[in-house]
Amino acid sequence: MTTHPDVTTAAEPAPSPQPTPAATVPRPPRRTVRTASWYAVALLISSVMVLPILWMIGIALKGHSAVFQIPPRLLPDEFHFENFIDGPKAIHFPRLLLNSLVITGLSVMGGVMTSMMAGYALSRLRFPGRKVWFYAFVGSMMLPPVVGIIPLFQLFKDIGWYDTWLPLIVPAWLGGNPLFIYLARQYFLSVPYSIDEAAKMDGAGHVRIFFSVMLPITRPAWITMAILAFQFSWNDYLNPLIYLYSSEKWPLSVGMASFVTGFAGQTPDWNLYMAANLLYMLPPLAVFFVAQRYFIQGLSALGTVNQR
Amino acid sequence: MAPALVGFTAFVVYPLIRSAYFALTRYNGLTAPTFVGLDNFRRMFTTDPSFWPSVRATLLLVVLYVPLSLVIGLALAVFCNRHMRGVRMVRTLIYLPVVLPVVATITLWKFVFNPQVGLANQVLSWLHLPTSEWLSGSGSAIPSIVIVMLWSVGSTMIIFLAALQAVPTELYDAARIDGAGPRTVFFRITLPLISPIMVLQVVLQLVTALQTFNQPKILSPDNQGGPGFSTRVLMLSIYNHGFPTLGRVAEFGYASAQVWVLFLVIVVVIAATARFSSIWTYSDHAS
Amino acid sequence: MKRTLHAAGALLTAGGLLATAACGGSSGKASDGKTTVTVMTWESSATNQLIDKALAGFHDPDITVKRIDTPNGNYGDKLASLTQAKKLPDLFWCGNDTELQYTGQGLLTDWSGKLSGSGGFTAGSFSPTAIKNWKTPDGKIGGVPSLLNTYGIWYDIDAFQAAGVPLPKAGWTWDEMYAAAGKLQKKGAKYGLVADALTGQDAPFALSLYSQSAGGAPFTDSVNQPTKVTADATYTEGVGKLVAGIKSGAVAPPGYDASTAQSLFAAGQVPMLWSGQWLAAGFLTDKPKIKYGFAPLPQVDKAATLYDAVGICTPSYTKNADATYKVLSYLDSTVWTKVLPDSPVAVPAYTGAQDAYYNALSKAGLTTVASTVKADLDAPLTSGVRFTTQWASQSNDQITAYWPDILKGKKPLSDLQTMTGKINDVIKSNG
Repeated sequence: MTTHPDVTTAAEPAPSPQPTPAATVPRPPRRTVRTASWYAVALLISSVMVLPILWMIGIALKGHSAVFQIPPRLLPDEFHFENFIDGPKAIHFPRLLLNSLVITGLSVMGGVMTSMMAGYALSRLRFPGRKVWFYAFVGSMMLPPVVGIIPLFQLFKDIGWYDTWLPLIVPAWLGGNPLFIYLARQYFLSVPYSIDEAAKMDGAGHVRIFFSVMLPITRPAWITMAILAFQFSWNDYLNPLIYLYSSEKWPLSVGMASFVTGFAGQTPDWNLYMAANLLYMLPPLAVFFVAQRYFIQGLSALGTVNQR
Repeated sequence: MAPALVGFTAFVVYPLIRSAYFALTRYNGLTAPTFVGLDNFRRMFTTDPSFWPSVRATLLLVVLYVPLSLVIGLALAVFCNRHMRGVRMVRTLIYLPVVLPVVATITLWKFVFNPQVGLANQVLSWLHLPTSEWLSGSGSAIPSIVIVMLWSVGSTMIIFLAALQAVPTELYDAARIDGAGPRTVFFRITLPLISPIMVLQVVLQLVTALQTFNQPKILSPDNQGGPGFSTRVLMLSIYNHGFPTLGRVAEFGYASAQVWVLFLVIVVVIAATARFSSIWTYSDHAS
Repeated sequence: MKRTLHAAGALLTAGGLLATAACGGSSGKASDGKTTVTVMTWESSATNQLIDKALAGFHDPDITVKRIDTPNGNYGDKLASLTQAKKLPDLFWCGNDTELQYTGQGLLTDWSGKLSGSGGFTAGSFSPTAIKNWKTPDGKIGGVPSLLNTYGIWYDIDAFQAAGVPLPKAGWTWDEMYAAAGKLQKKGAKYGLVADALTGQDAPFALSLYSQSAGGAPFTDSVNQPTKVTADATYTEGVGKLVAGIKSGAVAPPGYDASTAQSLFAAGQVPMLWSGQWLAAGFLTDKPKIKYGFAPLPQVDKAATLYDAVGICTPSYTKNADATYKVLSYLDSTVWTKVLPDSPVAVPAYTGAQDAYYNALSKAGLTTVASTVKADLDAPLTSGVRFTTQWASQSNDQITAYWPDILKGKKPLSDLQTMTGKINDVIKSNG
């Protein structure tokens, strides 16, 4: 992380599309031009995506007053690596990180398990009102979550869940995400029935079919869901803001936001904030890179499922 | 199945009924609600000076964001749907902002848009282009928020990409043999084939855009949808009334009435999309 | 169905674990018979540390004091949800408007009986205007004022000298302020004057100073129990001058994000900043590179200033009111004498602690701050900073609907009358 900004920004102002075709074997000129322009556009797009992040790393390394230099500079004059210690310290980063991990972990588990089971039931079990339930779920996908904010706030308050993590976790366990249920059902429908029948011949019940046959087959589906659920819960800002008042129970999202909404004219410490922000971004990045392959597969499933 | 049913009742049916009742009351969450009939709606449509501007802000956001996110998302998907060295890297970079936490990226952009020390004006002045007030200008605030939202266009792109890759290559080969140019191929073959995904995307993006909350809440200079009412989208207006700023008493009744207006807008928009789309969506059920 | 039972079982266990884990930090009577009094502040973490240190000096065999740690951002959101959940801490920092509204709703403990008693911590030991403004119409007082905020203009001495403009001083006029802003802006500053107090939601009350100072009518007859708002000819003239200042680029327009203004000022990028005395505490720790001073708000004929006090409130459901009052009286007198020398944020409303503040300022060499704060407290004319009433959010929306557009010249000055008319409608319909 330390030498990172120099290397990347050094490579930055070199938008010449020329170097790439040199490597390729001589081709018809038009093709070469096309390849070159593709790379030029690719470079442009990539820099739009990456530049803000590089700039953030730059700020994270600056001193407090250097942030407000005019004209601003991309690179800091002096490197303040202590920001990476002071920034997290200002919001009790380790504790909030642990909170975020627990909340996210539990709600991902719950969300994925419940949705997979409900999806399985909707696609495989015959029970009265199956169609009705399916449409009810699909319909509630359209329902804005905001409808529930006020009544649910009062419900959770009345049953004593205020200032606990339960309102952030339990809804996921109770199938609070209809999109996942829909996704799971669609994915299960694409699994041929012959597989079930073969398992049934071996004497397996629904429980065994679900756990030992279906779960392995549908791995891309539930990994995709897990990543989406992870992102949703990791990013969730409104719910923890409303439900949690003890700062020791906050997840990182609220802690990070409290950094920048200064009070009574105080200016936030942007350099410390950006340093903590980089650390906040690491877990989702790690999850994404580890599970990237399945994630793309799973989303492709979403992309194709609809054409069925 | 049972937990899902319990959840459905608790998190969908119950809130729906409760908030419909609240919408007809004056209620501050501290003393019992008093029934006021349609007073909240009357106030909303006639006397409240913030309501119509917030409808306008919401619609402006939708009108700017949804088409742009679809067009750019599809363009990037087409761009990345090729066998080039490094394409995987480009794709990952485009998707990167989606992976990053929303609050983190939004606050980052708040700083990028700072008119005096932010990156945006810095880059513009390097390029000798006129600078902007960004989030501080009442005209430029919503477009700035749309830019922040578009930075995460990777989520749209990745689904389009999946759809593009599902189009059988034989179709392209056949078309090329028939002498069709790339433009014809795109408009005559690709677009119709991915139209179901297009509809799904339209609906998803509409719902997202109508319910935008985090961006205006964090990005507006006063965190309440400023400057003026320019970024006070309906979601934020609901939040401001239900969970008001320092030391004000909540207006749950009025907030619930706005919730219902937003809900109806969403239903109407989606119904219209579904109706409109059934005309031009490709369906292979017919074949 | 077995499957679902499994899930439900796991869910219950997880829920149970969480519930028990969550029950740790509740306040009230502990098992050893001691009363715990909880305190919540909106101060910066540096000031909070000083408060903790000072609170450690509080000794009472039956009371323990616990400060709830809260980063200062989102204090308002948190207060709103705490209020709804009826979980407010025994002592929490509050504004004048919060105190009046909550007292009106019966949410706060009424201290008027205790304050009218005898001893070293009674109504008589506070700045009289503060106590007067903290009383509700029926004589209740749900919290005690703690610190008095005063407003003025922070100026960058280096920038003024470079532009050849005389430094602001007590008795300077609005015209001089706008003229200075114009010259500073021509010298290269993006804006000569940043004053979100003149462009934001509370701005009509700040502009009232112009009118009052020139002998015109105030914007409202009272911020606590208003019967009407007015924008007379003098008032309109004052707004007109502001519009001209914004048009010429000398004054930052409505919407300018003031959240970075303090740092920009310290970095020498904002030559004049309309703000409060509280910035001094931050400047003492951050040590700006520029030389700076603090002048009273401008006037026309007579000195006029904004009045604003913050305080400490107690919910009606506090477990042990006597213990809470003990901690409160320590917190609002002795604690300030210990905290202010290191972090002079504001002058205390408790008169006995005021010297600690002024001494700290003169020790740090901030003489202009001390003299401006003193001048502000003596100013003959004052205006409240904003309405403190239940319906204030409705009148705020009316202000937001007209004020920025009038300032930017999108709406004519005559629309001030439309705005006041609409606000008067709000007052009437709620009166």
